[in-house]
Amino acid sequence: MQRKPVLIAFILLMLTCGLPLAAQANTPSLSLNGFGTLGVVHSDEDQADFVSSMLMPRGAGHTSDWSAEVDSRLGLQLTANLTPRLSSVVQVVTEQQYDGQFRPAIEWANINFDVTPELSLRVGRVILPVFMNSEYRKVGYATPWVRPPLEVYRTIPVSSIDGLDVSYRSRIASATSTLRATYGQSDSTFPYTDSAMGRATAEARAREGLTIGNTVEQGNLSVFAAYSHYRLSIEDFNPLFDVFRMFGPEGDAIADRYNVDDKSFEVISLGARYDPGNWFVMGEWAQTSSRTFLTDNRGWYISGGYRLGAFTPYLTYANQRIHSQTSTPGLSQPGSEALDAMLNSLLQGQPQQKSISLGLRWDFSSSMAIKAQFDHMNHEGGSRGYLVNSQPGFDPGGSVNLFSLALDFVF
Amino acid sequence: MPSRLKRIGCGLLFSLASSMAWAEVVVVVSAHNPLATLTRSELADIYLGRTSRFPNGQPATPLDQGESSPIYATFYREYLGQTPTQVKMHWSRLIFTGRGQPPRSLAGDRAMVDFVAAHADAIGYLDDVHIDERLRVVTID
Repeated sequence: MQRKPVLIAFILLMLTCGLPLAAQANTPSLSLNGFGTLGVVHSDEDQADFVSSMLMPRGAGHTSDWSAEVDSRLGLQLTANLTPRLSSVVQVVTEQQYDGQFRPAIEWANINFDVTPELSLRVGRVILPVFMNSEYRKVGYATPWVRPPLEVYRTIPVSSIDGLDVSYRSRIASATSTLRATYGQSDSTFPYTDSAMGRATAEARAREGLTIGNTVEQGNLSVFAAYSHYRLSIEDFNPLFDVFRMFGPEGDAIADRYNVDDKSFEVISLGARYDPGNWFVMGEWAQTSSRTFLTDNRGWYISGGYRLGAFTPYLTYANQRIHSQTSTPGLSQPGSEALDAMLNSLLQGQPQQKSISLGLRWDFSSSMAIKAQFDHMNHEGGSRGYLVNSQPGFDPGGSVNLFSLALDFVF
Repeated sequence: MPSRLKRIGCGLLFSLASSMAWAEVVVVVSAHNPLATLTRSELADIYLGRTSRFPNGQPATPLDQGESSPIYATFYREYLGQTPTQVKMHWSRLIFTGRGQPPRSLAGDRAMVDFVAAHADAIGYLDDVHIDERLRVVTID
């Protein structure tokens, strides 16, 4: 269903490659920009795959010793400034999709109208600003790391929503405040391993999605806070809960507690960054809550780096914990053991981990950087962490080391 | 003898330092623009795309010199405390969200003088030896 707009966007991009890209302020203009990452990652765990997003099925470890599919992507963006107040952005990102194929998908496609210089309105596929670095989480060049810390960024893998976005910028003394509200819906297909250890996909639908976020910048300091609320459904899991319902009121109670059928899903996130030039430190904290089998999570990270000319060594510590029950007695009726076990395996499949990452970014050219990063991840509470595609020989609750190399560029 | 050499050496160093100090990067607007001073944070807001207006509410169009020119690095280091890489990272955060494009880039001080002189909304920077009566130097404090 998405194939046609992608094709049109590509044709548009190709057509405009040949046009002179003017940057005049008052005449209509088109600009083409791009970003990309060519990255490889090695994992020392060969019985499961490390992936950078829950939307991808193939990664490093079991599928490939060194995987180029985890971090590599290419983004192309066409910005049309139609009048000084009206502009349009189309961004197409090619990366690994839910079926393991590299395919372009429309990340953003919207029309922006500046009602006043401070107030702007966007309609279309717009940014979903759940976290501090959400807007450029796929632009490797814009961040110090090989990938944003998964303990926070994995929780909401989606970075766009179909709907509208209102942004209001104001000044409070010498600080700039940007208040943004986004409303809309999004569908995303994600891969998972079913109870028969087979590969399956499911669709998560977020409806009535409202995100309100505020960024305050003053000098070298930037502070961010956001609240998001969605009505989330993953219908593919309903059949399991329908079986629970056959066990009467007790089964109904379990289904209502753990299913993902038009359930309220909340995210609260906070972040701050201080960057005086020679060094930087930033951190984020995020909490998700819902009455579903997805459990309630808290994740946070703190990251800092020091700039020595073209080299930036950095260190990150991150942690994600579940703060709701990860097991349930289930129905505990005769014959319900297999069903209870399935529900418990869903609950235990939710990740808990802490990690420490050490890396070096080298800005060897004006629009390119090379990064090398070592990650040590500890899987807590017997979880699989963020590993997918685990094999019978996999032992949960252990630790995994990763080594990543990435070339990031912008143009 | 050694002390005299030292004196000469010091004098040479002094004159070198002062001649370097004369070749300064200054921020300019058109003489038709009433703007006389900006704070460092106001200048940073204009150059980093956080505002498109001068403090008096008039539209502001910032202009850059070539990204690889020494004056570009000097301007961003002295007035914004940032390296060219940091500036590039900053813009890569805004461009890919459609929230802005970096300032238009002009090739050299002469082009800067002519453009700023002809546009009341323009603000630029150049080596102060190129200043003429069509421009006003903005005091940055």
